[in-house]
Amino acid sequence: MADLRVTLLGTELKNPVIPASGTFGFGREFAELYDISMLGAVATKGLTLEPRAGNPTPRIAESRGVILNAVGLQNPGVRHFIEEDLAWLREKTKVIANVAGKDVEEYGKICALLDGKVDFIELNISCPNVKCGGMAFGIRPESIENVTWVAKNALKTTPLIVKLSPNVESIAENARAAERGGADALSLVNTFTGMAIDIERRRPILANNTGGVSGAGIKPIAVRMVLEAAHAVKIPVIGMGGITCAEDAIEFMMAGACAVEVGTQNFTDALACPKIIADLGAWCDAHGVERIRDLIGAARMNG
Amino acid sequence: MIETRATVLENVRIAENIYSLTFATEQPVPVRPGQFCMLGVTGFPLRRPLAICMAEGERITVCYQVKGRGTEMLARGYQRGHTIPVLLPLGNGFFVRQEEKKVAVVGGGVGVFPLVSVIRAYAQEKEIFSYVGFRTRAAVCMQYELQRSKELTVTTDDGSFGKRGTAVQALMENIGRVKPDVILSCGPLPMLRALKNAVGGKIPAFVSLEERMGCGVGACLVCVCSLSGGAHARVCKDGPVFDLTEVDLNG
Ligand SMILES: Cc1cc2nc3c(=O)[nH]c(=O)nc-3n(C[C@H](O)[C@H](O)[C@H](O)COP(=O)(O)OP(=O)(O)OC[C@H]3O[C@@H](n4cnc5c(N)ncnc54)[C@H](O)[C@@H]3O)c2cc1C
Ligand SMILES: Cc1cc2nc3c(=O)[nH]c(=O)nc-3n(C[C@H](O)[C@H](O)[C@H](O)COP(=O)(O)O)c2cc1C
Ligand code: FES
Repeated sequence: MADLRVTLLGTELKNPVIPASGTFGFGREFAELYDISMLGAVATKGLTLEPRAGNPTPRIAESRGVILNAVGLQNPGVRHFIEEDLAWLREKTKVIANVAGKDVEEYGKICALLDGKVDFIELNISCPNVKCGGMAFGIRPESIENVTWVAKNALKTTPLIVKLSPNVESIAENARAAERGGADALSLVNTFTGMAIDIERRRPILANNTGGVSGAGIKPIAVRMVLEAAHAVKIPVIGMGGITCAEDAIEFMMAGACAVEVGTQNFTDALACPKIIADLGAWCDAHGVERIRDLIGAARMNG
Repeated sequence: MIETRATVLENVRIAENIYSLTFATEQPVPVRPGQFCMLGVTGFPLRRPLAICMAEGERITVCYQVKGRGTEMLARGYQRGHTIPVLLPLGNGFFVRQEEKKVAVVGGGVGVFPLVSVIRAYAQEKEIFSYVGFRTRAAVCMQYELQRSKELTVTTDDGSFGKRGTAVQALMENIGRVKPDVILSCGPLPMLRALKNAVGGKIPAFVSLEERMGCGVGACLVCVCSLSGGAHARVCKDGPVFDLTEVDLNG
């Protein structure tokens, strides 16, 4: 059996498969379906300083090969997570706390509260569904560098992953901005901003009008962006966007990702992550790959 | 709650645009009345939530209206012997307390399907009074199952079958005589609002809600509804059945 372990910033993950933020809650519900300790890590639902009620419904829609969501960061607040869910989740596997602030200062405060308590922090600087926060930080290199610096300075021990938005001009430039700000790693991509219109009602399906596009249809764009980011920086990169199977995960690793996150596919198949883990092992065995980490960045460009 | 590869036993049209799909799961599934399942349709990233109408061991029946592309594919693309991924059983379901003997069931359109499971579960031990409304004669279905009720009133909007009018009107025409201990309902929002106006707070009443879903298990928070106090509840996990007085139907 191939060795599926990967190392992320000095921490060993059993395998590179991580359920993506927002699709897996804090793990409790999926734990009723399978033993989530088999996962490389879990990325939590986006956490804010105070509890958030989120957007009106409908919050989800479907289009060919993709979905759109506009949850609006509903969550019970970071303190509630620390008190109620963190100990349970950490017993199972490595924890990536996904955080979102309404302004730069709040990012720092949330990071300070989580410092030393989780394995990684993933800074969501790119949520397209919250009017006053998220996205604003995630599109311009100067603001990315700034918010990363503030978050990093609030942290004494926990490594910082900055999650990049794909709704940008140059992913390489933004990747470098996060690295300059002090990010220990990057993750990408978050969702693409989109819209789906109900032509009978002549109105957008989502109550929020626009939403974040995810799922199989975004994969080729995400792979390209992960490769560009990985080439632009020296820090490790976690890849995601439309992963539905082990082969998709391998594609991201070959593009330069040292681990992958799986989002929408958890909806299509509640057992997606366990299946991908099993199939990654089978693929490596069938291809004579002894250590999956040997695949990281293995894709060579033509010409 | 299990994720299973079910085998289609039957997928047949039972009324205008309405199909009945029976499948066998890989293992027996204990189902409470009012629970639902998430059916995976090949090529569609989101699963379709459908109420479980009947459940006997590994044999499960759902009934669905063809509305959009997913249910159209379900009706056209799945025949006996095909496999279909299903996540079930989901949600809280309807509960009837020991001391509640007379149960009024109020259903509109596709809302009758979760209520069929209630009637099947309680027809023996309770007195069930059913009021079900359809748009028109061609949409009427589930007659055989509904007739397990002690009393059944079928209405149609256009009067082409049964009584002209709505299920809530039929309930209100009989409520003084029947004096139900509890009302269980599912149907379109306007119907649920009419029910709330008519009986809200006077008689215990529980309604099953519909909302667009992602995970179906309570993790993604896309399916929320508002409770009267302003809090959010997940339709898939905290519902789909809610106390009529506690749920905000204006959203
Ligand atoms: C708990 C629950 C139980 C249900 N039980 C039944 C039933 O027994 N019989 C029945 O005919 N219908 C039922 N519905 C409604 C049914 O889920 C939708 O009609 C169906 O999902 C529409 O899919 P589509 O492919 O036809 O439409 P599309 O427009 O292609 O669907 C696009 C997306 O929107 C979602 N969607 C669209 N309309 C609804 C809706 N009204 N409710 C929830 N999601 C929706 C779909 O699931 C899909 O994710 C139930 C809904 C819920 C939430
Ligand atoms: C319903 C839903 C909620 C999400 N919530 C968050 C969130 O809170 N924070 C975040 O950083 N990303 C969030 N995302 C984005 C995912 O983590 C992921 O970046 C994106 O969906 C792309 O991956 P996928 O195509 O595998 O789904 C959410 C995605 C979905 C579908
Ligand atoms: S559908 Fe995910 S929480 Fe209800």
